[in-house]
Amino acid sequence: MSTWANLGLQDSASPLMEQLIFFHDHALLILVMITVLVGYLMFMLFFNSYVNRFLLHGQLIEMIWTILPAIILLFIALPSLRLLYLLDEINEPSVTLKSIGHQWYWSYEYSDFNNIEFDSYMIPTNELAIDGFRLLDVDNRVILPMNSQIRILVTAADVIHSWTIPALGVKVDGTPGRLNQTNFFINRPGLFYGQCSEICGANHSFMPIVIESVPVNYFIKWISKNN
Amino acid sequence: MSLIPCLRGRNLFQMTRRGFASGGDLIRLMVADREVVGYGINGRPIYFDSPDCPFPAIRYREVNPELCALREKELDDWKKLSLDEKKQLYRHSFCQTYAEFQHFTPEWKLCLGVALWVVALGIGISISMKTLVYRKLPDTFDDEHQSAQLRRIIQLQMNPITGISSKWCYHENKWK
Repeated sequence: MSTWANLGLQDSASPLMEQLIFFHDHALLILVMITVLVGYLMFMLFFNSYVNRFLLHGQLIEMIWTILPAIILLFIALPSLRLLYLLDEINEPSVTLKSIGHQWYWSYEYSDFNNIEFDSYMIPTNELAIDGFRLLDVDNRVILPMNSQIRILVTAADVIHSWTIPALGVKVDGTPGRLNQTNFFINRPGLFYGQCSEICGANHSFMPIVIESVPVNYFIKWISKNN
Repeated sequence: MSLIPCLRGRNLFQMTRRGFASGGDLIRLMVADREVVGYGINGRPIYFDSPDCPFPAIRYREVNPELCALREKELDDWKKLSLDEKKQLYRHSFCQTYAEFQHFTPEWKLCLGVALWVVALGIGISISMKTLVYRKLPDTFDDEHQSAQLRRIIQLQMNPITGISSKWCYHENKWK
């Protein structure tokens, strides 16, 4: 979850999100270096009183400032493509979760296990406990096992919604009449929050998502209890 | 074209100049009786002071009889010219000296003043919006709720790598 004055990305709870954070830091470092260089050049213009009215071209410097950006772009493109293909890797999920977006709540189905289904509504601010997170806490959380590959199928019942958990690097649109699939892996226990990310009406900001990541044996116990 | 037209005869000079002007060229009308003395920056007979084009295409002032006398004196030894006469000759050909047209202007004070006024207006608008328009913040913003939430964040170990929980020492139960 984002805490107060959080400017950057949330700490990752998934190996793919870790890689996304590394790539983001790498690309941002390159961008900062370019910005500092250009800013310095612009700043020094204030103090330059030289004039050359007859300047036409400079072949060497033009070659340099064409080839150097191409090399810099290679340094960005190669890690980016590596990560792009890493995100699409095939793996064998052990749990499948179905998430259906409604106006204005999410419903979840665990069809692997005797059809466990429930709705997940946001807890209104006036009913929140003293340590509740406003606009984030829900009545029924999504319980998932940690250190297991999880498949999620997202769809919607009425208008387009979008299911997202920033800490896991997952965002999937739920479109009515369509099933969108993605995989993720949670590598630590805890609560992970997200909010609907596709405008869907008046209460679009009030249909959050909460994942409770638990050890596998706890997950099995929970499944058995809810059978 | 002559550098010292007074030696050739003023009438001839005027006829030459006005011959171009009667063709309808506006720039040449503005040139009037001023001598063309070079190419300038683009060949047009325009006067301007600029450090990167030290010699404009035309002199600054028009030809007059006092100047003609000075020009004849200029042909002789320069040591015979007084400082005032040298300055007159300069001011005939040029509008300002380098020191005058490169001088720092006080324009920045106006710009800074306007910018600060705009900033003050913006601050005034935000304060009045906060006082008159916005509703009260929800209860979860008060200290009691925030400290309860912070306790829960630490217990849940949220953002434990570089975020808020990484600053808490779980052994000693206090901030690092």
